[in-house]
Amino acid sequence: MLRALLRTNFQLRRAHGKISAVGKTPSLKSPPSFALLDATGRERSFPSGCPAMLCFVKEDCPTCDFSLPLIDGAFRAFGETADIWAIGQEREGNLKLVARHKLGLPMLDDSALRVSYGFEIEIVPTIVLVGADGAELCRLEGFVRDEWRGLFAKLAEITDKAAPALDWGAYPAWRAGCGSKSLEPQAAQQLEAEASGSRLRARRIELGSAEDPFEFMFERGLTDGLPVIPPTPERILAMLQGTRRDPQEVVAIVPPNMAPATVEKIAANAVMAGCKPEYLPVVLAALEAVCTPEFNIHGVMATTWGATPVIVVNGPVRHKIGMNMGRMVLGYGNRANATIGRALKLAIRNLGGARPGEVEQTALGSAGKYTTCFAEWEERNPWQPLHVERGFKREQSVVTVFPVESGSRQVWDQTSRNARSLAASLGLGLEACGHPKAHNYEPEVLIVVAPEHAATFGRDGWTKAQVRERIQEVTARPLAKLLPSSECAVGTPPASLGIKEPTAADLARLIPKFRRPESINIVVAGGEAGKFTAIFAGWYDPAAARSVSRLIEEV
Amino acid sequence: MEIIDPTDERVPVRRTLTARPPKLRGAVALLDISKPRGDVFLDRLAELLAERLPQVKLNRYRKPTFTKPAPDELRRLIAAENDFVIEALAD
Amino acid sequence: MHDSIWFESSARPAVFLASSVFAEAAQKQADALGLPEVRRVFVPHPIQDATNDEMKGKAEAAVEQVITALTR
Repeated sequence: MLRALLRTNFQLRRAHGKISAVGKTPSLKSPPSFALLDATGRERSFPSGCPAMLCFVKEDCPTCDFSLPLIDGAFRAFGETADIWAIGQEREGNLKLVARHKLGLPMLDDSALRVSYGFEIEIVPTIVLVGADGAELCRLEGFVRDEWRGLFAKLAEITDKAAPALDWGAYPAWRAGCGSKSLEPQAAQQLEAEASGSRLRARRIELGSAEDPFEFMFERGLTDGLPVIPPTPERILAMLQGTRRDPQEVVAIVPPNMAPATVEKIAANAVMAGCKPEYLPVVLAALEAVCTPEFNIHGVMATTWGATPVIVVNGPVRHKIGMNMGRMVLGYGNRANATIGRALKLAIRNLGGARPGEVEQTALGSAGKYTTCFAEWEERNPWQPLHVERGFKREQSVVTVFPVESGSRQVWDQTSRNARSLAASLGLGLEACGHPKAHNYEPEVLIVVAPEHAATFGRDGWTKAQVRERIQEVTARPLAKLLPSSECAVGTPPASLGIKEPTAADLARLIPKFRRPESINIVVAGGEAGKFTAIFAGWYDPAAARSVSRLIEEV
Repeated sequence: MEIIDPTDERVPVRRTLTARPPKLRGAVALLDISKPRGDVFLDRLAELLAERLPQVKLNRYRKPTFTKPAPDELRRLIAAENDFVIEALAD
Repeated sequence: MHDSIWFESSARPAVFLASSVFAEAAQKQADALGLPEVRRVFVPHPIQDATNDEMKGKAEAAVEQVITALTR
C-alpha cells in the first residue's frame, strides 16, 4: 500500500523533474507548512511569505556533502530576501555538516523525518523551490549541473539579487543522490502510520506466504512454549478498545532490560496470551505493579529459586470480566484467569527480556511460571477483602501482585471444628515455608482459604489478627531446636535475632515462624466443597521484594 | 500476514568502556553485593591487592541487597570517592 | 552488571566478578545494556557451599585478571 502510494507520487514528481526550464511551469501542489529548529535552536517556520529554497540533505550522502557549499553560496547571495534552508535528516549528522562546511545557512533538524515525509522526499539532496505565494515552483533531485545553474538564475530573478559568479564548467554534469531516510522501511512505516492516523506505531513484521504464523512465533522465541495468537494489527486495535489509555503511553519500564512498555506493546502480548479486550486494564495494572522497585521483578525472574508473580484481583472487575474465584480457582479452565497471568509473563519475557537460560536462572521453575492469576471471592469472605484491607474502597477494582517462591501447596484439615484448631493446622502447614527450621522468617506469604475453612473462622468470629496470632503461637519453638547443626545445616542463625553468643535463656527462647505476623496475607477463594487452604511462600525478604497493589482503570 | 513486533525494539544505546590508565592509582572501591560468602572472597582479594598495589587506597562498600542495583546515593558516593570499582561476587 | 555499566558511564573503570555459571547471562545482559565488552571476571562455581579456604583460593586465582580488567 505504502509502496504503491509512493510509486504514484514518484511518477508524478518525475514528470515535474523533466521540466528543464526551471521554474517555468507552476507546481500542482502547495507544500505543507512546518516549524523546525535550526542548529542554534531558533525556530524557523514555513511558509514565511518569502520565496524559499528548501534543501533536504543527510550527512552520509556524498552528493549532499558535495552540494552543500553551493547551497551555502546561494544563501550568501539570496538569503537576505529568501528562506534558503538546509533540512537535515539526522541530528548528529546535521551538526557535522555545519562544522565541516562552516555553513552560514540555517540547518534545520528534521531527524523526526516528518517534514521529509510531508514533502514526499525520495532522494537527497532534493531542492524544493517555493514562491512567495507558497506554491512549489520546481524540485531538483541529486545534482544535475544545468538544472542547478537554472535554479540559481531563477533565484536571482525572484529575489532581484545578482547570482554569484560561479565557474559552472568546473562542476560535474551529474551526480546521483541517495535514498531519503524517510523511506527507510521502519521510518516509512511509522511515518505512514502517523500520517494515516493509525493508533499503532510499533515495528511491523511481514510474514511470507509460506510461513506458518504459529511456527514463526515459536522460532522467534516469542512464546512461553505454548502456541500464541499472532498479534496482527487488527487484533491489537481490537484489544486497545479495552482501555482508554493512549496506545503510546509508557505504562512501565520493564526490567531486566529496562524496556519502555507502551500500551500498544502490552496489548500485543495480551493478544498473544489470548486475552479479551476487557482484560487489558488488569494486565496493564499488573505490569505496572511488578515493575515497581518494591516488587523487584528483575530479582523474581533472575533467581535460581522458582519465583513468579501471583496476581490477585479484587473489586467489581472480577464479575465484569468473568474471573474464576470458586472451584478450580488455582487451576485451569477460566479464560480471564489463565490469559491475564500469561499476558503479564509474556510481556515481561518479550519486553523485559527475561528468558530461561538467559536472565532467568531458575533451577527448577514451577508450572505457575506460565500463569498464576485468580480473583478473591469477596462475597464468601468473613473478613475485609484484600484491597479494602490495603486502603482501597470495596467498589474499586484492584490488582495485587505477590512475589512467591514457586507454586502453591495445600494444607489439609477436614476435621477441625473450630477456628483455633484450624489456625493451628495452617500454622503447622506454614512452618515449612522456605525451610521448617527457618524461623523469624521474613518473606510475605499468601494463603488462599477455601470457603469451608473461611466459614469455620467466620462462625467463631475470628479476625485475621487472631488467625495470625495463633499461627505464631503454634509455630513458636525454642531457639535450641532451630539452630543450624551438623544434623541439618539449615536453621535460624542466632545473629538473625541479634544474638551473638546464645545464653541458656536465649536457647530456651520461643521463636515463632514469622518475624512479622502481618506478612501473612489472607484471601478467600475456592470451591464450596473441600476443607483446604493453599499456601504460597514468599520469595525473599521484603527489602528485596514485596507485594504491590495497583488500582485497575475503570472503563 | 503482518504482525506487530511484541518485543522491545530499541537498539541498545551503545556505550563505550571508559579509558583505562596503564596502572591502578588513586582509590579503588571494593563493592560487596551482599551475596553470602562474597565477604570471604572480598577480604582475601583486598589483602592481595594491598600487597600488590601499596600505592592504591582501597575502600570497602556494601549494597543493601544483591537482588537490586545499588541505590543512587551509594553509586554516587562510590564514584566520588574512587577511581576504579570492583564489584563482587554474584553467583 | 547494571552497577558496573553505570560506573563505566561515569568514567570509573569497573569490573564485575561472578561465578562461572553466569557467563552467558552476563553476556546477554551486557548486550542489552549496550556495553557488550563490560569487563567481568568469572570464578569457578560453586560459591554458596565453598569452604573459606576454597573461597580464598578463588580470590587468589582472580586477582591478576581483576587488575588487568581495570588497566587494559
